[in-house]
Amino acid sequence: MFDAFFVQQLVNGFSVGLVYALIAIGFTLIFGVLNVVNFAHGEVYMVGAYAGVVLITAWAPPLIAVVLFVMAVGAVAGFGLERLAFKPFRRFQDEASLKSKAMREATLLSSLAVSIIVREVVEKVFGGAMRPVPFESQLTDPVQIGELSFSTGQFVIFGAAVAMFAGLQFLLYRTRIGLSIRAVANNPLGAKYVGIDTDRTIIATFVVGSVMGAVAGILVALYYGSVFPTMGFAPGVKAFVAMVMGGLSSIPGAVICAIFLGLAEAVATEFLAQGWSEMIAYGFLLLTLIFFPTGLFGGARDRV
Amino acid sequence: MTLSKTIRGALAGVAVGAALSMAAVPALAQKTIALGYQAPLTGEMSQYGEVFRNSATMAVEQFNKSGKLPGATVVLKFEDSKNDAKEGVNIAKKFVDDPEIVGVLGDFSSTVSMAAAQVYAQAGLPQLSQTASHPDYVKISEWQFRNITTQAYEGPFVAKWALGEGKKKIAVIAIQNDWGQSVVSNFKDAVEKGGGQVTSVEFYNPGNRDFRTILTKVAREKPDAIYLGMFDEDGASLLQQRRQLNVQIPTYATSSLYSPKLITLAGPSSDGLKLSTTFASDSPEPVVKAYVDEYQARYKAVPTMFAAQAYDATNIMLAAIAKVGPTVDRKSLRDALAQTAGFPGVTGETTFDPQTREPTKTLARMEIKGGQFALVK
Repeated sequence: MFDAFFVQQLVNGFSVGLVYALIAIGFTLIFGVLNVVNFAHGEVYMVGAYAGVVLITAWAPPLIAVVLFVMAVGAVAGFGLERLAFKPFRRFQDEASLKSKAMREATLLSSLAVSIIVREVVEKVFGGAMRPVPFESQLTDPVQIGELSFSTGQFVIFGAAVAMFAGLQFLLYRTRIGLSIRAVANNPLGAKYVGIDTDRTIIATFVVGSVMGAVAGILVALYYGSVFPTMGFAPGVKAFVAMVMGGLSSIPGAVICAIFLGLAEAVATEFLAQGWSEMIAYGFLLLTLIFFPTGLFGGARDRV
Repeated sequence: MTLSKTIRGALAGVAVGAALSMAAVPALAQKTIALGYQAPLTGEMSQYGEVFRNSATMAVEQFNKSGKLPGATVVLKFEDSKNDAKEGVNIAKKFVDDPEIVGVLGDFSSTVSMAAAQVYAQAGLPQLSQTASHPDYVKISEWQFRNITTQAYEGPFVAKWALGEGKKKIAVIAIQNDWGQSVVSNFKDAVEKGGGQVTSVEFYNPGNRDFRTILTKVAREKPDAIYLGMFDEDGASLLQQRRQLNVQIPTYATSSLYSPKLITLAGPSSDGLKLSTTFASDSPEPVVKAYVDEYQARYKAVPTMFAAQAYDATNIMLAAIAKVGPTVDRKSLRDALAQTAGFPGVTGETTFDPQTREPTKTLARMEIKGGQFALVK
């Protein structure tokens, strides 16, 4: 029997999963290169959303202009974040420091610090409350197909996710900078010894990852119709779970796991209270870590 | 010590002495009475704390100017609870240790208010929350008061309204916390007593902003109506997603959704929402008009129901202080609060039951029509 409500739940879950996937792509890219979690990724997402909303409120330009502007903001945010929270920990170039876990893991806290400061500053400037996206620019119009309800935002997010994923694969496998990103991800010391400019590569990775994070932010803001300073936190955590389940540094793995998480949560809500469906996500994370310690798609040599 | 240092020290001593004696003159005439105010001033609930602070500051300034309490000045001491029960308890301990404080306003949520209430109950400091509506809050001790009608009053009111409009099968969506639980239990009992049926109860975790799965699940049961127990941001997200999912089930809500913010955020999606409230910012009543005008002049925003609750709570506290006079202490303030009767506030006439300390107010029925809250006659 065709159950429209159940299929509708799958649609709901798929779109939530895509939101997680959009964030997870940038997250995983940066992790792959640095082998450290960038805790400020959720704030890049939030800053991208706010930048887009400010632009829309002021001039209401077409969507493509908003996205280009947000990409620029994301690039600057990524560059600034790297400069502030990551670069200072790479100033020692001797082999012991380069191999030091402590050095690398200190950036875990410095990125967390940056994320808290950015969030509090945004809260001070724009207020802690939700801000609406002007209604004309929202991507919340219903699109009825048979018994199923979609919204314009779901199609845009789907398109963006496909484009980002394909664009990133192109960048990684068809360009020189992609080659150096893969080299640094694979073996940072080795890459350095063969003459790759690792500093430049890391900066490029942050710029690319943050551009994706920022674009994800504005698209999701248009889809939900609002922005708020803590908007990056909850989906950021789910994206992190997807990244870990996918094997930490596999971008296709993270995307698949993100969509799987979204679907699992939606289907779980059919049987449990919404509060419990969160448990499903973390339950899957636990199961993955117990039975597949390297993640579902991890373990291969190539780390991006 | 050199001579010049001694001279300088002596001069400084004289200066301090002079300053002290100058300060002492008004201090003799003007006693300071402090009220503690604990509310979330940062974090996710900071917007509520902000409007409480606005309203309370305004109420105290008006009171000090009015000369209702000759010989004393009332000051407010704010502390940020971040909507965290642990913080709430720490603040309560701090307020209890402050000898100037005779009464406390706040906190925002039932959860934090009830955590802090344990401290106030032990130390004997009157606490008046503008919003804590959990049924057990005032039962903690004789020191707890509130200026908001509880769900025990509001739930049956809306249930009767919905049943009267022929809505027999109703689904409930509420936030998963102490307050949300009381929304559901009171409403459900009233609906079932009135011959209706609650088809499903859906709780969601605080912080969740995607209601599509819950709405889809609720729509499957095909209820006649949906009842929402949540705050304005969650409500706005839900209403937008309801429109987008093309779920056209009539929707009722708790008074907590009565806020201009809801319409700003949800836009046309909020049309048709029905709710009860004690405060209407466009009410023609002179007390309400005066309050709304001054609030707008000061803070460039229309006061929400939350702002109005805090304004009345502060004024009820101040009226009780004025009744006792400048010699007010914690015990006499409590007794005066318990006698509050027919207080003409902006959220309707308020009377505290001297025994249960539960307030009674008049509720109005509202519906959103064309982007405006309109009174339902």
